[in-house]
Amino acid sequence: MATDRRSGFERGRWWPSSPRVRDGLIAFLPVALATCLGVVPLAVMAYESVSPPITLANYAEALGGVYLPVLGRSLLIGVVATAACLLIAYPVTYWLAHVCPARYRLAALITLVLPLWLNYVVLNYAWVWILARGGVLNYLLVALGPLGEPLSLLYTHTSMLIGFLYIYLPYVLLTMYASMERLDYRLVEAARDLGAGDLRVFVDVVVPRTIAGALASALIVYARIAGAYATPEILGGPRNQMISRLIVSAFYEFADWGFASALSFVFLAVVFVGFCLGALSGSVRNELKRW
Amino acid sequence: MDLHTPGPDGESESGDRRSALGTDADAGAGTGADAEGSADDNDGRAVDTGRNGRLGSGRVGFDRVRRQFFRTVVLCTLVFFYGPILAVGYLSLAPNGQPSVPIEGVSLRWYVAVLTDARFVESALTSIGIGVVVAIGGTALGAMAAHVIVRGRLDRWVRGLIGLIVALPLFVPTVVLALGIGVFAGRVGLGFGLVPVLLGHLFWVLPFSTFLLTARYATLDAELSEAARDLGASNAEVARTVVIPLLAPALLASVLFCFALSFNEFLVTFFLAGSAITTMPLELFGQIRIGATTFLNAASVLVLVVSGALATLASRFEAPV
Repeated sequence: MATDRRSGFERGRWWPSSPRVRDGLIAFLPVALATCLGVVPLAVMAYESVSPPITLANYAEALGGVYLPVLGRSLLIGVVATAACLLIAYPVTYWLAHVCPARYRLAALITLVLPLWLNYVVLNYAWVWILARGGVLNYLLVALGPLGEPLSLLYTHTSMLIGFLYIYLPYVLLTMYASMERLDYRLVEAARDLGAGDLRVFVDVVVPRTIAGALASALIVYARIAGAYATPEILGGPRNQMISRLIVSAFYEFADWGFASALSFVFLAVVFVGFCLGALSGSVRNELKRW
Repeated sequence: MDLHTPGPDGESESGDRRSALGTDADAGAGTGADAEGSADDNDGRAVDTGRNGRLGSGRVGFDRVRRQFFRTVVLCTLVFFYGPILAVGYLSLAPNGQPSVPIEGVSLRWYVAVLTDARFVESALTSIGIGVVVAIGGTALGAMAAHVIVRGRLDRWVRGLIGLIVALPLFVPTVVLALGIGVFAGRVGLGFGLVPVLLGHLFWVLPFSTFLLTARYATLDAELSEAARDLGASNAEVARTVVIPLLAPALLASVLFCFALSFNEFLVTFFLAGSAITTMPLELFGQIRIGATTFLNAASVLVLVVSGALATLASRFEAPV
């Protein structure tokens, strides 16, 4: 393919400059933007986190007893919320790819991933009205009878988890759908014809064929959940601090950029380890590349 | 019971299934293999409910349970997604500033209040302005990156590297990137305000526009461009008369998606805006932290309607997958 194109191009000798130079020029703007705002800031942060002059004090503080539990909590919540997303995404994407009639499929897919494009600050806020003591859910539960008095759901771990599920499930649906669609349905039928039960079909056919996509979407969403800021601020309570809250307050309230950078790098390192573990598997790597 | 009778039985069985399952199966009947799939599916969690089916009367009942399971899960997901939005819409109609459930009347006064609120209108206009610039700029940059990634005559690893650098915002947690850009802007002396926010948003939407366009670009027939070139078109003419018209739906979708992304972006703006400018998500976030009000509900509905309409429009041009 590539050689084809190259030779095809050499035929067009009338173009004076080298095609490589021309492509380089075209690539320059987007790459420069991504480098200046992605790569360089990471380098600046790395420098910032070990200065002045050269010290690991910021890292020592970030890994100290006060902040480590917050990091642990962020990661744990990330794992739980991601697992919940996958648990729901499996049946929903399976339905979408293999059960839903083809002519409704696109409409159903768009309906299910539309929340991706809505404002997540507003979406989180909507749950305040559902979960508050005087909110819709408590009203329904009390009015319809099952509860004597309203539950305190808002500003807890539960409300935060619901918020994460709400915001990030569409991402998982979208990525999982891509790999669920590639699952050949004839395999499921074959397994059934050979006498496999439901659980067996799921464990031996559906999961092995889709696990790479599931892990890839889990990795992407996990990092986002663990580093989310708006959801814990809106739906979490003062006892549910997460890592991003610490980073933001180090940046804004204490103007301690070195410490904020060190915290970010510790967090980034943990996320990166997850990616590396995922990338060890070639099929997950391919799935990630598709993104 | 689990044993599916193979062979000739299959035909009559799926017929049974269709009649037993009524409208849904009928809808699926025209879709070939997928229609077969429609009744015959399963998931680990179906097994629990499936046991009831085993006690029931044979395979048709079993399929019905399975189908019921999927229908329930999907329906719950839809209620989960859209219930809160409907609730906020309902509560935005309350006449008093602090709505109670159920609301005590129906009034549009808070919509009027939102649309005449100077702060809200100003932040909305700021967001729209930034969104327009980012939508067009982000799509243009994305098209350039996509062109090089798909058609570039650079070495394979260079193109891979370009893809990787552009994809950075997808893999690095946003809070880390946002802090990085904030620290960088502070150290370089770029400061905070409109220009850093614009650049930050461009950077943030770049992977989305790039990969949306890359996907479409890769399906274009490279020989069309070759043919145009053989007929004497210059590169600019090839781009103008062949590539861009073929990419037009994807370009339009990219413009709309980039606008929606920028319009909704919160965290990067939070680190870069400083005190000079306020975008709508920032304004809403600030007010949400003060407390939930009918004013905010009405503002939320307006924001959701705008971004939802844009996304629906965009997906008409290019499917999200």
